Amino acid sequence: MMKKSIWLYSFLIFSLLFGSNLSQEDACIACHVEVDQELDDEDKIVNHFESDIHIKVGLSCADCHGGDPNAFDDEDEAMWENETFIGAIEKSEQLDVCGKCHSDPLFMRRYSTDVKVDQVSQYKTSGHGISLAEGNDKVAVCTDCHNVHGILPVNDPRAPVYAKNIPETCSKCHSDDTRMFESGLPTNQFDEYKNSVHGVALLENGDIGAPACNDCHGSHGATPPYVENVDQICGTCHSNNKNLFQKSHLNDIFLSKGFGQCEACHGNHDVEKPTDEFLGWSSESACKPCHEDSHPAKLMASHFYQTIDSLKIGLIQAHDMVEKAEHKGMIVSELLFDLEDAKKTLIQTRTNIHSFNNAFVDSGAAPGFVSIQAAINGTNVLLDEVIYRRKGLLAFSLIITIFVIAIGLKVKEWKRIRESEEV
Amino acid sequence: MSIYEWMNERIDLDSVKKFALKKRVPIFYGSVWYYLGGVSLFLFMVQVFTGILLILYYQPGAETAYESVKFIISRVEFGWLIREVHSWSANLFILFAFFHMFTVFFAKAYRKPREMTWVTGMILLMLSLGFGFSGYLLPWNELAYFATKVGSDIAGAVPVIGDFALRLLRAGDEVSGATLTRFYGIHTALLPGIFTVVLGIHLILVQVQGMSVPPEIEKIPEEKRKSIPFFPDFALQDAMAWLIVLNLIALLAVFFPWDLGSKADPLASAPAGIKPEWYFMFMFQTLKYIPAHVLFIEGELFGIMLFSIGGLIWFLVPFLDKKANDGIRTPFWTWFGILLIIYMIVLTAWGYLT
Repeated sequence: MMKKSIWLYSFLIFSLLFGSNLSQEDACIACHVEVDQELDDEDKIVNHFESDIHIKVGLSCADCHGGDPNAFDDEDEAMWENETFIGAIEKSEQLDVCGKCHSDPLFMRRYSTDVKVDQVSQYKTSGHGISLAEGNDKVAVCTDCHNVHGILPVNDPRAPVYAKNIPETCSKCHSDDTRMFESGLPTNQFDEYKNSVHGVALLENGDIGAPACNDCHGSHGATPPYVENVDQICGTCHSNNKNLFQKSHLNDIFLSKGFGQCEACHGNHDVEKPTDEFLGWSSESACKPCHEDSHPAKLMASHFYQTIDSLKIGLIQAHDMVEKAEHKGMIVSELLFDLEDAKKTLIQTRTNIHSFNNAFVDSGAAPGFVSIQAAINGTNVLLDEVIYRRKGLLAFSLIITIFVIAIGLKVKEWKRIRESEEV
Repeated sequence: MSIYEWMNERIDLDSVKKFALKKRVPIFYGSVWYYLGGVSLFLFMVQVFTGILLILYYQPGAETAYESVKFIISRVEFGWLIREVHSWSANLFILFAFFHMFTVFFAKAYRKPREMTWVTGMILLMLSLGFGFSGYLLPWNELAYFATKVGSDIAGAVPVIGDFALRLLRAGDEVSGATLTRFYGIHTALLPGIFTVVLGIHLILVQVQGMSVPPEIEKIPEEKRKSIPFFPDFALQDAMAWLIVLNLIALLAVFFPWDLGSKADPLASAPAGIKPEWYFMFMFQTLKYIPAHVLFIEGELFGIMLFSIGGLIWFLVPFLDKKANDGIRTPFWTWFGILLIIYMIVLTAWGYLT
């Protein structure tokens, strides 16, 4: 009696939760509400269904696990005696089970016309897929990244595969020394990444445009990039830098020496926000670790540094002057365009250094110096105008003061005359 | 025949001349306050002069107003000066009008027979605030846009006519280019027309009734009271005050120019720290901190009612403070004025410091 009332109570709660009587329609759910009673909330299968994408689109337990969802009265008929029933899905079976729908374009087109169906084929080419094919049952399969029940769409911020959550999801395995021991892979990628310019942008600033693991390694087809692919991967976002570097004389040299083009100077997981000190010949120089002091690279690096530094100093000077004129009430909007042009040139010049060509960098930087000079000249005109106005005010005040004194004296004189007349 | 003689034959200038030469201004400890009205009048004239010059270049409209003001400041010869003088003079005008009003109030100069002078003066002050509110929007910058939005929202909270008043002010549901055109019309045609008529009545009343003196001076026989001729002594002293104020405006215009700010963007979110003009601050601050409900009345409505009743009492002071007509001291009204000034100063300072 007691058991029956618990079942009834759970059934009612579950019915209210979903707004429709799923457990009345599905024998699997009806039964699992009851058998999972003793489990923790997290382990109750039905607790995950509320947000599950598969349940939402009308799929049921039987679509993955087989069995007969209409066999309400007989457990054997529902599961063990049903030839389609496969129960808990082993890792080795997942590609087939998930791929049954996700690799079928006709089936998937019901839900979206542009849905991808190449996940399984991509997975098979990935490090994970190859290892799984070799019999490694510890390797990540679909459910390790997407969850088992309660699977959320990729654009749901709660999903483990949502852009911002991907580093954490990958790190569950890739930061685990025990799990990675056999593969010999390092486990410090996440620690390096989270402090990198990309990691800070994604994890701290919430910029989901910033790259996560999958943007460089691929997602279903995850594999480490080869040296010759590095520029293509970084070039997906940093296309100008990539194009310039590919045309530079360093491209072939790097490839012949086995350096990952961008990675050689900027690193990979721990890529830092580049500073202008990467150029030049200080201790932070990115060129110095490979080149001797006597190498012509020193001259080129120093030249790049000086060019960018001159633009920066000029821009700061012009900006301060324009701000000064603005504080004095002058309209500086046209000068702000010059400053904006100079800023753009500075950014462009920082990109141009990837050409490793002095003449190209110089010609690119030249318009920036012109804009800075235009802003300085324009500000000087405005500051001269401020001085002119103040001189004008001084002259005006002098005239007014003389007038006021003259009137005051005249009034006093009249008063004296009147008083003497009255006497 | 001189022009004067020619005119005199036709409009009897001699009687005006005789009146002016005969007119005398009392001299006592409070004579200095007489200059405040004159300075307010001078500032209004500055407003008219600079306003006319600004009209020559200003182009009302959401797409042109900001640009035309920018053009006036940066391209028109001495345009910056005219705009700065107009802005500073507007503020000083209201400041001096307030000073003038309070000195008249504390001197009880509103008592019989000058009730109408007080009433016309109050109307002029209301119109001046209208000038300030309508003129603030004209540069079509971000702060002005949102301040107007908030200000006109308050008008919308008035019961019964609120919705109508809001739409009448904004020329629509939202502050838009249509509002700007409407405010321009109000600022440059409607208000100046009404103001000139009321100002004319106010000045005629002052001339006809002469300057008010405190009751204790009034008791002294007229022939024994100290006075100076209006022409030329007082007129020249008035001119001195005007010149000093003009120099003050020039100083403020050169050293403390008004920031034009960025162009209004109706689609942008309101910037932080929107504040009305300083002379509306005490009311804005009151409405801001009034509880959501006072008794059964909505807070904002309660505030509006409070200001309406307060304003009406202030407007009718000459008719309420009847004892003052007989030269009897009325400390209640004096304290009423003192507390009002303290309230206005404290709330305004609070608004700017928080």
